Amino acid sequence: MPLFRRTLIGSSLAAATLAFRPAHAAGKVLRIGISTSLSTLDPMMVTTGDEYIHANLVFNGLARMREDLVVEPDLAESWTYSDDLRQWTFRLRRGVKFHDGQEMVADDVVASFRRLLDPASTSPVRSQYDMIDSVAAPDAATVVFKLTIPYGGLADILTDRQVKIVPRGASDLATKPIGTGPFKVVSYTAGDRLVLARHADYFEPGLPKLEGVELRIIPEMSVKIAAVQAGDIDVVWDLPLEQVKPLSGRADLRIDSVPTASWDGAILNNAIAPFNDKRVRQAFHLAVDKKEVVDLTLFGQGVETISPIPPSHPFFAKDVTVAKPDPAAARKLLAEAGHPNGIKLPVILPVGRPVRERLGVTLQQLAKAGGFDLQVQRLPYSSFNAEVSGKAPLYIDGFFARPTVDTSLFSFLRSGGSWNERLWHYNDATVDRALDAARSSADPAVQKKNYGDVQAALVANPASFFAYSVNYACAYRKSVGGVKTHPMKWFDLRYATLG
Amino acid sequence: MRLAAFLLRRLLGLVGVLLGMSVLIFGIIHILPGNVAYAILGEFATPAAVAQLEAKLGLNDPLPMQYWRWLSALLQGDFGTSIVMSRPAASLIAEALGRSAVLAALAFGLVAMGGIGLGLYGATHRGRLADKLLTLLQFVLIAVPEFFWAILAVLIFAAWLNLLPATGYAPLSDGVLAWGSHLLLPVLVLASGLVAHVARLTRSSTIEVLDSRYVLTARARGLGERRVLWRHALPNALLPAITVLAIDAGLLIGGIVVVETVFAYPGLGRLLVYAIERHDLPLLQVGMMVVTAIYAVANFIAELLYAVLNPRIRVAGAAA
Repeated sequence: MPLFRRTLIGSSLAAATLAFRPAHAAGKVLRIGISTSLSTLDPMMVTTGDEYIHANLVFNGLARMREDLVVEPDLAESWTYSDDLRQWTFRLRRGVKFHDGQEMVADDVVASFRRLLDPASTSPVRSQYDMIDSVAAPDAATVVFKLTIPYGGLADILTDRQVKIVPRGASDLATKPIGTGPFKVVSYTAGDRLVLARHADYFEPGLPKLEGVELRIIPEMSVKIAAVQAGDIDVVWDLPLEQVKPLSGRADLRIDSVPTASWDGAILNNAIAPFNDKRVRQAFHLAVDKKEVVDLTLFGQGVETISPIPPSHPFFAKDVTVAKPDPAAARKLLAEAGHPNGIKLPVILPVGRPVRERLGVTLQQLAKAGGFDLQVQRLPYSSFNAEVSGKAPLYIDGFFARPTVDTSLFSFLRSGGSWNERLWHYNDATVDRALDAARSSADPAVQKKNYGDVQAALVANPASFFAYSVNYACAYRKSVGGVKTHPMKWFDLRYATLG
Repeated sequence: MRLAAFLLRRLLGLVGVLLGMSVLIFGIIHILPGNVAYAILGEFATPAAVAQLEAKLGLNDPLPMQYWRWLSALLQGDFGTSIVMSRPAASLIAEALGRSAVLAALAFGLVAMGGIGLGLYGATHRGRLADKLLTLLQFVLIAVPEFFWAILAVLIFAAWLNLLPATGYAPLSDGVLAWGSHLLLPVLVLASGLVAHVARLTRSSTIEVLDSRYVLTARARGLGERRVLWRHALPNALLPAITVLAIDAGLLIGGIVVVETVFAYPGLGRLLVYAIERHDLPLLQVGMMVVTAIYAVANFIAELLYAVLNPRIRVAGAAA
C-alpha cells in the first residue's frame, strides 16, 4: 500500500511538472543544434565548423561567398587590381556600424589584417595570407593591398572564415566579440549555447529578419534529432549522411543535402615504400571503384572526384578520362612494381570520425581484389597530426572545403607546398607549372584550362587517393524559411524567417 | 581524544591521496597521445605554427618543471588558464561545477532516500509480489547503462510525448518550472541505476539484521515491530549503505559525464570531455583534481559518519 501511495504521489507530481513544459523560445529566434563548444569567439582563431557559423553571423569580411559559390562584395563595395596582380584596391561601404556603435573605416580593415598577419597573434591561417606584403589606408574608404607575388584570387580568399573585420584596438575578442554582422553576441555559456541578437544598425536595410539566433550545443546526434522533432530546436546542423533518407519522409522536416568541396581520401605517402612507386599508386586507383565507395561510405550522399575540386565546380575536368576499375590490371601493375604477391600493409583510421572510419573499412574490403591486403588500425583523431600524418604510408583523412580552388590545391599539390610536405610529398612538374599559371591570372578561362591540366596530370600520376566530395546535410523544421544550405557549412541567416 | 586522532589521521591521508593524484594526473595527461598545439590549430597545424604555439604555451620546458609550476600555482589558488578557450580555468570550472552540483545533489538525495526507502520496503515485505517486482525492476535498472535510459527518456518524453525539453539547461532566473523541467530527466536517469544499487544493498543488510539474535531478543522483550525496525535494526543495517553511498558518489561523477553529454547539460562532466577532446591540459588537470577532491572528501565524510555510527571503528582504527 505505501508503495502504491508513493507511486501515486510521484506520478501526480511528475504530471504537474509535465503540464508546465516551458513554451518554445519566444519571438523569432532561430535555434540551431550544433555539436561542440566553441573554443573562441575571436574570428581570427576559429578552426571548427561550429565556430565558423558564429564567425559568419557576427562578422563580415571585405567579400562574401554566396551559396552558389559566387563571390560578391560585403564590407567592400567594389575592388580593382593592377595589371600585374600585385596591387589590389578595395573601396569600402560607408556608414557601416560595429555592434558597439562605432563606424567601420579603412583603419579598422588595416588593423584587422595587421592583427592576422602578426606572428605573435598565432592565427592558424596566417600562412594562407603570406602573399600580402602590406596593407594601407590612403583614406577612410579605401584599402590597398600590396602583394609579394602576382595573385589573381585575393578577393576570393577574403571570403574565408577567419578574415573578418574587427574594430581597431579591440581587445579580448575571444570572449567579447564585436563585429559588423547581422547578429551580435549576447551571451555564451560553454557547453550550453551561444545567444545572438539582431544587430539593429546592420548596414543592409530591413535585414536580418530574425530577432535572434541561438546556437545550442548538443553533442549527441540522436538527441539532436529528437530535439528537432520535438521543436526544441529549428535546425540540425551537419546531419549525418545516413540520416538523410530516413528523415526525408517526415512531414515536419525539410532535409537538404548539398555537394561541397570537402573531401576524404586515403593518404598515400609518396616518400615511403610502397607508395613511393607511381605504379603502386596507380594500382590502388585501379583496384577500387570510387562509385561503390560513395555508395557504401556516404550512402550515396556525395560524388567521386579526381582532386579536391568537386564535380559540382565549373573547374572540374569533365573531359579527363579516368580508367575503369580493373583489379586484374591492378595486380599486374603491382607485379611489375615488384610485388607479385600483392601488398600487405596497415591502414590507419581516425577514431571519432565515423565517415572516415567507414571509408577505411570500405577501402579495406574493395582493395582486396586488386592485391592490397590492408590491416585496419584505429587511432584517436586527435593524435593524427602528431603521430600519423607524414609518418604512416597509408591512412584515412579528409579536409574541410576551402573557399577557392587555389587554396584547395596549391599548398596540397605544389612541390614544397605546406600540406604537400606534411601529407604525401608529391612532385610533378606539370602540376607545378599549371598551379603557378592558374594563380597568377585573374581570368577564369585561363584558370579553368590550367586546373584541367592539373586533374589530367593527377590521373596519370596520382598524388594520393581523393575518394569523393562529400555532401553536407541539414534538417530544418518546415517553419524555417529563407535559408539556403551553404556548401561551406556556415549559415547566411540575413533572410531567414520563422513562420 | 580518540576521535580527534582518528580525524587527524584521516585528514593527513586525504592530503596524501590528493598529492599522489596530482602527480598521477599530471603524468597521465602528459603521456596522452596527441599534442595540444595540434589540437588547437586543427587542420591549420603547419609545423611553423605548431612550434610557435608550443613556445607560447611553455610546453618545451622539462616535465618536472612544468609540474612544479602547476602545483605551486595551484596551491596558491591559481588554477591556470584554459589554453584553448583563453579564459581562467577557475571560473569555467566553478560555473560548470555549480550546475553539476545541482544535478548531483538532487540525484544523490533521490538515491539516498529512494534507495534506503525501497530497500527497507523490500526487506520488510520480503517474498511478496511487490518485493519480487521491485527486485526485477532494480536488476533491470542496474543492468542497463545510463546512456540507454537517457536516449530512451529523450525519445519518449521530448520527441514522442513532447512534454519535457530534450536537452539543455535553464537558469533559475527563467523560473522554477523551466529550471526543474530541464533537470527532471537528467536527475531521474542519473539516479536510476544507483537507487537500485543502494536499495539492493539496504534490503539484504536489513534482512540480515532482522534475522539476527538481538532483534529476536528485542522482539522477545515485547517491543513493537516498528520500534524494533527503527531503533535496533536500522542503525546497523545502514552502515553498509553509507559505504556504498560514498562509493556511489564516485559512480555518480562517472554517470554525470554520460548524462550531461546526452542531455547537453553544461556541467563539469561535459567540460572534462571537452578538455580531453581539445587537449586543453590546464583545464583538464584542474578539472580532474576537482573531481578527485570531491571523491576523496565524499569518502572522508563517509568514514566520519561510519565512525560516529559505529564506535568500534574509531577504536579499532586508533588501536591499529
